[in-house]
Amino acid sequence: MTPLDLEHIRAEFPERPIDYYPSLDSTMHAAPGRPPGSVVVAGEQTAGQGRHGHSWHSEAGAGLYCSLVLEPAPVLTLALGLATQSAILDSTGITCDLRWPNDVMLGGKKLAGILVQLVDGRAIAGIGINLNQTEFGEELAGLATSLRMSTGQEACPTRILIALLRAVDNFITEDRDSILRLFAHGSSYAVGRRVTVDQPGGAITGTTAGLDPSGFLIVRKDDGTDTLILAGGVRAAGS
Amino acid sequence: MTVEEIRELINLAAETGIAELEVQRGDNRVRIRRAAFATQQEFVLAPQSYPAPMAAPSPAPVTPSASPSHEPPKEKPSDPTQVLVKSPIVGTFYEGPAPGAPPFVQVGSRVQPGQVLCIIESMKLMNEIESETAGIVEAKLVMNGQPVEYGEALFAVRTV
Repeated sequence: MTPLDLEHIRAEFPERPIDYYPSLDSTMHAAPGRPPGSVVVAGEQTAGQGRHGHSWHSEAGAGLYCSLVLEPAPVLTLALGLATQSAILDSTGITCDLRWPNDVMLGGKKLAGILVQLVDGRAIAGIGINLNQTEFGEELAGLATSLRMSTGQEACPTRILIALLRAVDNFITEDRDSILRLFAHGSSYAVGRRVTVDQPGGAITGTTAGLDPSGFLIVRKDDGTDTLILAGGVRAAGS
Repeated sequence: MTVEEIRELINLAAETGIAELEVQRGDNRVRIRRAAFATQQEFVLAPQSYPAPMAAPSPAPVTPSASPSHEPPKEKPSDPTQVLVKSPIVGTFYEGPAPGAPPFVQVGSRVQPGQVLCIIESMKLMNEIESETAGIVEAKLVMNGQPVEYGEALFAVRTV
Protein backbone atom coordinates (compact mmCIF):
# COMPACT_ATOMS: atom_id res chain seq x y z
CA MET A 1 0.00 0.00 0.00
CA THR A 2 1.13 3.54 -0.63
CA PRO A 3 2.92 4.70 2.52
CA LEU A 4 1.56 7.72 4.35
CA ASP A 5 3.48 10.80 3.15
CA LEU A 6 3.73 12.67 6.44
CA GLU A 7 5.86 15.47 5.03
CA HIS A 8 3.19 16.24 2.45
CA ILE A 9 0.39 16.08 5.01
CA ARG A 10 2.21 18.34 7.48
CA ALA A 11 2.96 20.83 4.71
CA GLU A 12 -0.78 21.04 3.97
CA PHE A 13 -1.57 21.70 7.66
CA PRO A 14 1.44 23.55 9.09
CA GLU A 15 -0.43 24.66 12.23
CA ARG A 16 -1.56 21.19 13.11
CA PRO A 17 0.36 18.73 15.32
CA ILE A 18 0.23 15.47 13.34
CA ASP A 19 1.87 12.40 14.85
CA TYR A 20 2.23 9.02 13.22
CA TYR A 21 2.90 5.75 15.03
CA PRO A 22 3.59 2.50 13.17
CA SER A 23 1.62 0.61 15.81
CA LEU A 24 -0.66 1.67 18.66
CA ASP A 25 -3.18 -0.16 20.80
CA SER A 26 -5.69 2.55 19.86
CA THR A 27 -5.38 6.11 18.60
CA MET A 28 -8.20 6.88 21.08
CA HIS A 29 -5.76 6.24 23.92
CA ALA A 30 -2.96 8.34 22.43
CA ALA A 31 -4.97 11.45 21.50
CA PRO A 32 -6.35 12.74 24.85
CA GLY A 33 -4.30 15.50 26.45
CA ARG A 34 -3.13 16.93 23.13
CA PRO A 35 -4.21 20.43 22.01
CA PRO A 36 -7.28 20.94 19.78
CA GLY A 37 -6.44 20.33 16.14
CA SER A 38 -4.01 17.52 16.93
CA VAL A 39 -4.09 14.39 14.82
CA VAL A 40 -2.83 10.94 15.83
CA VAL A 41 -2.42 8.38 13.05
CA ALA A 42 -1.47 4.73 13.44
CA GLY A 43 -0.20 2.26 10.86
CA GLU A 44 -2.03 -0.42 12.76
CA GLN A 45 -4.06 -0.71 15.93
CA THR A 46 -3.73 -3.75 18.13
CA ALA A 47 -6.92 -2.90 20.03
CA GLY A 48 -8.91 -0.60 17.75
CA GLN A 49 -12.05 0.62 19.46
CA GLY A 50 -15.61 0.64 18.21
CA ARG A 51 -18.84 1.76 19.82
CA HIS A 52 -19.49 0.63 23.40
CA GLY A 53 -17.04 -2.21 23.71
CA HIS A 54 -16.97 -3.18 20.04
CA SER A 55 -13.59 -3.49 18.33
CA TRP A 56 -12.42 -1.95 15.05
CA HIS A 57 -10.57 -4.22 12.63
CA SER A 58 -7.22 -2.45 12.12
CA GLU A 59 -5.01 -4.55 9.85
CA ALA A 60 -1.49 -3.18 9.48
CA GLY A 61 -1.12 -0.83 6.53
CA ALA A 62 -4.56 -1.57 5.12
CA GLY A 63 -6.67 1.22 6.55
CA LEU A 64 -6.57 4.79 7.77
CA TYR A 65 -6.74 4.82 11.57
CA CYS A 66 -6.70 8.26 13.17
CA SER A 67 -8.00 10.31 16.08
CA LEU A 68 -8.59 14.06 15.99
CA VAL A 69 -8.77 16.35 19.00
CA LEU A 70 -11.71 18.72 18.55
CA GLU A 71 -13.85 21.14 20.53
CA PRO A 72 -17.21 19.59 21.44
CA ALA A 73 -20.11 20.88 19.34
CA PRO A 74 -23.79 20.04 18.80
CA VAL A 75 -24.37 17.24 16.28
CA LEU A 76 -20.59 16.82 16.02
CA THR A 77 -20.92 13.11 15.30
CA LEU A 78 -23.26 13.79 12.37
CA ALA A 79 -20.85 16.44 11.05
CA LEU A 80 -17.94 13.99 11.19
CA GLY A 81 -19.88 11.40 9.20
CA LEU A 82 -20.67 14.02 6.55
CA ALA A 83 -17.01 15.09 6.51
CA THR A 84 -15.81 11.54 5.98
CA GLN A 85 -18.35 10.98 3.20
CA SER A 86 -17.25 14.24 1.57
CA ALA A 87 -13.54 13.40 1.89
CA ILE A 88 -14.01 10.04 0.17
CA LEU A 89 -15.93 11.71 -2.65
CA ASP A 90 -13.33 14.45 -3.04
CA SER A 91 -10.34 12.09 -3.03
CA THR A 92 -11.74 9.11 -4.95
CA GLY A 93 -14.92 10.22 -6.72
CA ILE A 94 -16.90 7.55 -4.87
CA THR A 95 -20.25 8.49 -3.35
CA CYS A 96 -20.99 6.71 -0.08
CA ASP A 97 -24.16 6.49 1.98
CA LEU A 98 -24.47 7.45 5.64
CA ARG A 99 -26.19 5.18 8.13
CA TRP A 100 -27.40 7.22 11.09
CA PRO A 101 -25.64 8.64 12.91
CA ASN A 102 -22.34 8.38 11.03
CA ASP A 103 -21.47 4.96 9.61
CA VAL A 104 -20.09 5.43 6.11
CA MET A 105 -21.56 2.73 3.87
CA LEU A 106 -20.65 1.51 0.40
CA GLY A 107 -22.69 -1.15 -1.36
CA GLY A 108 -24.61 -1.79 1.85
CA LYS A 109 -21.43 -2.57 3.79
CA LYS A 110 -19.49 -0.49 6.26
CA LEU A 111 -16.55 1.39 4.79
CA ALA A 112 -15.73 3.73 7.64
CA GLY A 113 -16.65 4.09 11.29
CA ILE A 114 -16.52 7.03 13.65
CA LEU A 115 -16.50 7.11 17.43
CA VAL A 116 -16.33 10.21 19.60
CA GLN A 117 -15.39 10.27 23.27
CA LEU A 118 -15.55 13.31 25.51
CA VAL A 119 -12.35 13.48 27.56
CA ASP A 120 -11.50 16.42 29.82
CA GLY A 121 -13.73 18.79 27.87
CA ARG A 122 -12.37 17.80 24.46
CA ALA A 123 -14.00 15.64 21.81
CA ILE A 124 -11.68 12.85 20.73
CA ALA A 125 -12.90 11.71 17.31
CA GLY A 126 -11.71 8.32 16.15
CA ILE A 127 -12.13 7.73 12.42
CA GLY A 128 -11.34 4.43 10.74
CA ILE A 129 -11.58 4.05 6.96
CA ASN A 130 -11.10 0.71 5.22
CA LEU A 131 -8.80 1.44 2.27
CA ASN A 132 -6.88 -1.47 0.85
CA GLN A 133 -8.08 -4.58 2.63
CA THR A 134 -8.60 -7.35 0.11
CA GLU A 135 -10.76 -9.47 2.39
CA PHE A 136 -12.25 -9.56 5.84
CA GLY A 137 -12.60 -12.47 8.20
CA GLU A 138 -15.75 -14.55 8.32
CA GLU A 139 -17.23 -12.43 11.09
CA LEU A 140 -17.01 -9.20 9.07
CA ALA A 141 -17.26 -10.49 5.51
CA GLY A 142 -20.94 -9.62 5.10
CA LEU A 143 -20.69 -6.36 7.00
CA ALA A 144 -17.50 -4.58 5.94
CA THR A 145 -15.93 -3.45 2.69
CA SER A 146 -12.87 -1.46 1.62
CA LEU A 147 -12.32 1.03 -1.18
CA ARG A 148 -10.09 -1.48 -2.92
CA MET A 149 -12.65 -4.28 -2.66
CA SER A 150 -15.33 -1.99 -4.08
CA THR A 151 -13.31 -0.37 -6.86
CA GLY A 152 -10.48 -2.80 -7.55
CA GLN A 153 -8.06 0.09 -7.27
CA GLU A 154 -5.54 0.91 -4.58
CA ALA A 155 -6.53 3.86 -2.41
CA CYS A 156 -3.99 6.52 -1.43
CA PRO A 157 -4.06 7.12 2.35
CA THR A 158 -2.19 10.42 2.08
CA ARG A 159 -4.72 11.90 -0.32
CA ILE A 160 -7.64 10.65 1.76
CA LEU A 161 -6.23 11.92 5.07
CA ILE A 162 -5.62 15.39 3.60
CA ALA A 163 -9.18 15.44 2.21
CA LEU A 164 -10.50 14.22 5.58
CA LEU A 165 -8.78 16.93 7.62
CA ARG A 166 -9.97 19.62 5.19
CA ALA A 167 -13.53 18.27 5.25
CA VAL A 168 -13.62 18.03 9.06
CA ASP A 169 -12.50 21.67 9.31
CA ASN A 170 -15.28 22.67 6.91
CA PHE A 171 -18.13 20.64 8.43
CA ILE A 172 -17.52 21.31 12.12
CA THR A 173 -18.03 25.02 11.53
CA GLU A 174 -21.51 24.46 10.08
CA ASP A 175 -24.42 25.19 12.38
CA ARG A 176 -26.82 22.54 13.58
CA ASP A 177 -29.58 23.24 11.06
CA SER A 178 -27.14 23.07 8.15
CA ILE A 179 -25.77 19.75 9.35
CA LEU A 180 -29.29 18.33 9.70
CA ARG A 181 -30.15 19.48 6.16
CA LEU A 182 -26.93 18.05 4.76
CA PHE A 183 -27.52 14.74 6.52
CA ALA A 184 -31.07 14.53 5.19
CA HIS A 185 -29.67 15.14 1.71
CA GLY A 186 -26.74 12.75 2.01
CA SER A 187 -28.20 9.75 3.81
CA SER A 188 -30.69 7.20 2.52
CA TYR A 189 -31.35 6.37 6.17
CA ALA A 190 -32.84 9.76 7.02
CA VAL A 191 -36.36 9.18 5.66
CA GLY A 192 -38.34 6.22 4.35
CA ARG A 193 -35.80 3.50 5.10
CA ARG A 194 -36.86 0.22 6.72
CA VAL A 195 -34.58 -0.31 9.69
CA THR A 196 -34.13 -2.48 12.72
CA VAL A 197 -32.76 -0.85 15.86
CA ASP A 198 -31.47 -2.57 18.96
CA GLN A 199 -33.24 -1.11 21.99
CA PRO A 200 -33.16 -1.96 25.69
CA GLY A 201 -36.47 -3.83 25.53
CA GLY A 202 -35.53 -5.65 22.31
CA ALA A 203 -35.04 -4.72 18.70
CA ILE A 204 -37.69 -2.61 16.97
CA THR A 205 -38.39 -2.45 13.26
CA GLY A 206 -39.93 0.49 11.45
CA THR A 207 -39.43 3.14 8.82
CA THR A 208 -37.24 6.17 9.35
CA ALA A 209 -39.16 9.44 9.52
CA GLY A 210 -36.44 12.08 9.60
CA LEU A 211 -34.38 13.62 12.35
CA ASP A 212 -35.74 15.62 15.25
CA PRO A 213 -34.35 19.15 15.80
CA SER A 214 -31.55 17.75 17.95
CA GLY A 215 -30.46 15.26 15.28
CA PHE A 216 -31.93 12.11 16.83
CA LEU A 217 -33.45 9.62 14.40
CA ILE A 218 -37.23 9.12 14.37
CA VAL A 219 -38.34 5.57 13.60
CA ARG A 220 -42.04 5.06 12.88
CA LYS A 221 -43.19 1.58 13.77
CA ASP A 222 -45.88 -0.17 11.79
CA ASP A 223 -48.46 0.61 14.49
CA GLY A 224 -47.89 4.32 13.76
CA THR A 225 -46.03 5.12 16.96
CA ASP A 226 -42.69 6.90 16.84
CA THR A 227 -39.54 6.04 18.72
CA LEU A 228 -36.64 8.44 19.02
CA ILE A 229 -33.30 6.69 18.59
CA LEU A 230 -30.65 8.23 20.84
CA ALA A 231 -27.66 5.96 20.33
CA GLY A 232 -26.45 3.73 17.52
CA GLY A 233 -27.46 0.20 16.63
CA VAL A 234 -29.40 1.08 13.46
CA ARG A 235 -29.24 -1.40 10.59
CA ALA A 236 -31.17 -2.02 7.43
CA ALA A 237 -34.17 -4.24 8.16
CA GLY A 238 -33.55 -7.82 7.15
CA SER A 239 -29.78 -7.45 7.20
CA MET B 1 -46.11 -1.47 36.29
CA THR B 2 -48.14 -3.10 39.11
CA VAL B 3 -49.18 -1.61 42.43
CA GLU B 4 -46.94 -4.16 44.12
CA GLU B 5 -43.95 -3.00 42.10
CA ILE B 6 -44.70 0.61 42.98
CA ARG B 7 -44.97 -0.35 46.64
CA GLU B 8 -41.53 -1.97 46.42
CA LEU B 9 -40.10 1.20 44.94
CA ILE B 10 -41.63 3.27 47.77
CA ASN B 11 -40.01 0.94 50.28
CA LEU B 12 -36.71 1.19 48.42
CA ALA B 13 -36.85 4.97 48.53
CA ALA B 14 -37.61 4.89 52.26
CA GLU B 15 -34.86 2.38 53.03
CA THR B 16 -32.15 4.18 51.10
CA GLY B 17 -33.16 7.62 52.30
CA ILE B 18 -33.03 9.16 48.84
CA ALA B 19 -35.17 12.18 48.15
CA GLU B 20 -36.57 11.16 44.82
CA LEU B 21 -36.68 8.03 42.73
CA GLU B 22 -37.74 7.77 39.12
CA VAL B 23 -38.01 4.47 37.31
CA GLN B 24 -39.13 3.73 33.78
CA ARG B 25 -40.29 0.33 32.63
CA GLY B 26 -41.57 0.07 29.10
CA ASP B 27 -44.10 2.83 28.58
CA ASN B 28 -44.61 3.50 32.27
CA ARG B 29 -42.65 5.86 34.42
CA VAL B 30 -43.08 6.36 38.13
CA ARG B 31 -41.51 9.10 40.22
CA ILE B 32 -41.52 8.84 44.00
CA ARG B 33 -40.62 11.90 46.04
CA ARG B 34 -40.33 11.43 49.79
CA ALA B 35 -42.56 13.58 52.00
CA ALA B 36 -39.56 14.92 53.94
CA PHE B 37 -38.40 16.60 50.77
CA ALA B 38 -41.67 17.69 49.24
CA THR B 39 -44.95 19.16 50.33
CA GLN B 40 -46.66 15.91 49.52
CA GLN B 41 -45.81 12.53 48.16
CA GLU B 42 -46.19 12.53 44.43
CA PHE B 43 -46.70 9.61 42.13
CA VAL B 44 -46.50 10.22 38.44
CA LEU B 45 -47.38 7.42 36.07
CA ALA B 46 -47.15 8.65 32.53
CA PRO B 47 -46.64 7.31 29.05
CA GLN B 48 -43.08 7.39 27.81
CA SER B 49 -42.19 10.76 26.42
CA TYR B 50 -39.29 11.81 24.27
CA PRO B 51 -36.26 13.03 26.12
CA ALA B 52 -35.17 16.62 25.80
CA PRO B 53 -32.60 17.66 23.26
CA MET B 54 -29.09 18.57 24.27
CA ALA B 55 -29.03 21.96 25.93
CA ALA B 56 -30.52 24.16 23.23
CA PRO B 57 -34.30 24.26 22.98
CA SER B 58 -35.97 22.88 19.89
CA PRO B 59 -38.67 24.80 18.07
CA ALA B 60 -41.43 22.23 18.31
CA PRO B 61 -42.11 18.59 19.07
CA VAL B 62 -41.73 16.45 15.97
CA THR B 63 -44.57 14.12 16.71
CA PRO B 64 -47.87 14.40 18.56
CA SER B 65 -46.61 12.22 21.36
CA ALA B 66 -43.39 14.13 21.80
CA SER B 67 -43.18 16.32 24.87
CA PRO B 68 -39.64 17.54 25.24
CA SER B 69 -38.63 19.52 28.25
CA HIS B 70 -35.71 21.87 28.08
CA GLU B 71 -34.78 22.35 31.69
CA PRO B 72 -33.23 19.81 33.98
CA PRO B 73 -35.74 18.40 36.45
CA LYS B 74 -35.99 20.62 39.48
CA GLU B 75 -34.62 18.89 42.54
CA LYS B 76 -35.90 19.80 45.98
CA PRO B 77 -33.24 20.72 48.51
CA SER B 78 -32.22 17.46 50.07
CA ASP B 79 -29.76 15.96 52.49
CA PRO B 80 -26.59 18.03 52.04
CA THR B 81 -24.43 14.92 52.37
CA GLN B 82 -26.18 13.33 49.40
CA VAL B 83 -25.20 14.25 45.83
CA LEU B 84 -27.32 13.43 42.81
CA VAL B 85 -25.17 12.71 39.76
CA LYS B 86 -27.07 14.02 36.74
CA SER B 87 -26.79 13.39 33.03
CA PRO B 88 -25.24 16.31 31.13
CA ILE B 89 -26.77 15.18 27.83
CA VAL B 90 -29.71 13.28 26.38
CA GLY B 91 -28.66 9.75 25.60
CA THR B 92 -28.53 6.11 26.55
CA PHE B 93 -27.24 5.05 29.99
CA TYR B 94 -24.63 2.30 30.14
CA GLU B 95 -23.58 0.97 33.53
CA GLY B 96 -20.44 -0.71 32.15
CA PRO B 97 -17.81 -0.23 29.44
CA ALA B 98 -19.28 -2.94 27.19
CA PRO B 99 -22.34 -5.21 27.05
CA GLY B 100 -21.88 -7.97 29.60
CA ALA B 101 -18.94 -6.25 31.27
CA PRO B 102 -19.13 -5.61 35.02
CA PRO B 103 -20.68 -2.24 35.91
CA PHE B 104 -18.34 0.62 36.74
CA VAL B 105 -19.98 0.92 40.18
CA GLN B 106 -22.75 -0.74 42.16
CA VAL B 107 -24.93 0.35 45.06
CA GLY B 108 -22.56 0.31 48.03
CA SER B 109 -19.43 1.04 45.96
CA ARG B 110 -17.04 3.56 47.44
CA VAL B 111 -16.10 6.16 44.82
CA GLN B 112 -13.44 8.84 44.51
CA PRO B 113 -13.52 12.15 42.64
CA GLY B 114 -12.87 11.51 38.95
CA GLN B 115 -13.93 7.86 39.12
CA VAL B 116 -16.07 6.80 36.18
CA LEU B 117 -19.63 5.94 37.22
CA CYS B 118 -21.26 5.23 33.85
CA ILE B 119 -21.33 6.16 30.18
CA ILE B 120 -24.02 8.20 28.43
CA GLU B 121 -24.07 7.66 24.68
CA SER B 122 -25.66 10.20 22.39
CA MET B 123 -25.42 9.60 18.64
CA LYS B 124 -22.18 7.61 19.10
CA LEU B 125 -20.69 10.29 21.28
CA MET B 126 -19.56 8.49 24.44
CA ASN B 127 -19.53 10.61 27.57
CA GLU B 128 -18.00 9.04 30.66
CA ILE B 129 -19.69 10.43 33.75
CA GLU B 130 -17.31 10.84 36.66
CA SER B 131 -18.00 11.28 40.35
CA GLU B 132 -17.28 14.80 41.54
CA THR B 133 -17.08 13.76 45.14
CA ALA B 134 -15.78 11.00 47.39
CA GLY B 135 -18.58 8.91 48.77
CA ILE B 136 -20.64 5.76 48.65
CA VAL B 137 -23.13 4.99 45.89
CA GLU B 138 -26.49 4.82 47.63
CA ALA B 139 -28.75 4.33 44.65
CA LYS B 140 -28.57 3.71 40.95
CA LEU B 141 -31.60 5.51 39.58
CA VAL B 142 -31.78 4.27 35.98
CA MET B 143 -31.55 0.90 34.30
CA ASN B 144 -28.76 -0.21 31.98
CA GLY B 145 -29.61 0.72 28.38
CA GLN B 146 -32.35 3.13 29.41
CA PRO B 147 -32.75 6.52 27.68
CA VAL B 148 -32.05 9.46 29.98
CA GLU B 149 -32.95 13.10 29.75
CA TYR B 150 -30.77 16.15 30.13
CA GLY B 151 -30.39 16.74 33.87
CA GLU B 152 -31.89 13.40 34.88
CA ALA B 153 -30.48 11.98 38.12
CA LEU B 154 -28.40 8.84 37.52
CA PHE B 155 -26.91 8.03 40.91
CA ALA B 156 -27.29 9.15 44.51
CA VAL B 157 -23.90 9.35 46.22
CA ARG B 158 -23.53 9.84 49.98
CA THR B 159 -20.49 12.00 50.58
CA VAL B 160 -17.98 10.88 53.17
